[in-house]
Amino acid sequence: MDDIDDILAEIAVDSIPQETRDLQELTRCWVAERVAPELLPWPEEVVERVLERIRRQIELVEDQTGDMDPKTGFRLIVVQTELERFKFLVRSFLRARLRKIDAHPLHILNQHKDSLEISRPLLSASEHQYLTTHQSLLATHYNSSFLSQFPASLQRLDDTTGGISMVDKPDEDAAIFVRCLRDVGEILIDGTETRIDMKRGDVWVVRWSAVKQWVEVGDLEVI
Amino acid sequence: MALPLPPGLTPPEIAFICEMELVTIIPRQKLEGLKLLGAPLKPLNPPQRASIPLWLALLLKRQRRANIVPPPWLSPISLQAILDHETEQEDAFSPPPRLPPSSSGNEAPFSPPFLQSSTANAPPDALPYHWLELGEMLLEAAADDFEEPDNVRKLMRGLREVRMAKLRQGVNVLDAGGGVKMNGVGAMELGEARSFITGVVDGLRKISASREQQRKDRAREERENGYSGSADYDDDEMDME
Repeated sequence: MDDIDDILAEIAVDSIPQETRDLQELTRCWVAERVAPELLPWPEEVVERVLERIRRQIELVEDQTGDMDPKTGFRLIVVQTELERFKFLVRSFLRARLRKIDAHPLHILNQHKDSLEISRPLLSASEHQYLTTHQSLLATHYNSSFLSQFPASLQRLDDTTGGISMVDKPDEDAAIFVRCLRDVGEILIDGTETRIDMKRGDVWVVRWSAVKQWVEVGDLEVI
Repeated sequence: MALPLPPGLTPPEIAFICEMELVTIIPRQKLEGLKLLGAPLKPLNPPQRASIPLWLALLLKRQRRANIVPPPWLSPISLQAILDHETEQEDAFSPPPRLPPSSSGNEAPFSPPFLQSSTANAPPDALPYHWLELGEMLLEAAADDFEEPDNVRKLMRGLREVRMAKLRQGVNVLDAGGGVKMNGVGAMELGEARSFITGVVDGLRKISASREQQRKDRAREERENGYSGSADYDDDEMDME
């Protein structure tokens, strides 16, 4: 009995359209970005696909609004309701990223430079532009208003002398909730004796730093 | 433009995610197929049942174009059985629905709200991740599609109280490393308890930060000196109370 169920379920999974997969992926990215303490790599492909579909859907709505047939009217309401949901999702996702970029600009800029070397950029092109332009504006402003009157040795904004870095960074050890999507096995939490065995379907409260690598490959999901 | 909200999902955001769950409806009117962004909508032909996302089902219901079929676990018999199980098992939530077989390909595995755990074919014996929000939304918008809405409401409240009590009790096992298993927790319950639980874990971590640093240093020293003395570690890491 179970075997038939399994086979049927597998067919059902395979027949799930790309659109639904993209929605799931974007939702997952959004939740992760809302919850995780650090900025996650920019999911360029899925965002591009979704934005392209949104663009086409908007064109469709614009084409059909002139139609006075009441039937099309209701169809358009459905289409527009969904469109608004997608726009909210994309917008909230981008704003959650902006919040992190604003909070730790220099740290993220450094991370972005490192991420370019492994060709998994942390920021999108426009996010990078926003970050650098904003920072140069700020730096100019600080300089003209007070920094230039300081001694030269105190003018830097990313000083690391004295063992303390001026560059602020998020709390990478913050506790988060994760759901296990594929069996991960044993994870050792650095600095403690705690070892946890993560199996598919489990929900755990755990440090972000201990599970980050599995979240990025998609074995774990932040919830 | 940056989002002014603190980390963690707000209740409306959890409800937004929950509205992606598929539910079963019985359409009352024909509706042609539509190319939607999330998934193509098949033509609705009354009285053939169809599975559509909750947000659309609620829209159709509000305009009296469809009736919603409540998922099997939202029946008084199932809820009573789950409630009994929750009351007997004092230290864990009732298990979540059985997962579909893991797909062999490289595709990302599915998880709520894309698991079809709230259609008319869903398993009747387990509460899915979005049980609370989904139940509340259906009871509010489509109470007339339930056979005994008041009974369902009462049982839902009972379940909620039993489970919240468990969540509060669970605070006792929190420790600095995290590593607390919470299988079967619901999305809204998690949203409610999130800031408290993560706050406690983070606070404990900060208290024991120096101890952790010592441990790390000792482990590094041992690695450098090349002997393994880890067997006689003192196991008193949780004696701070």
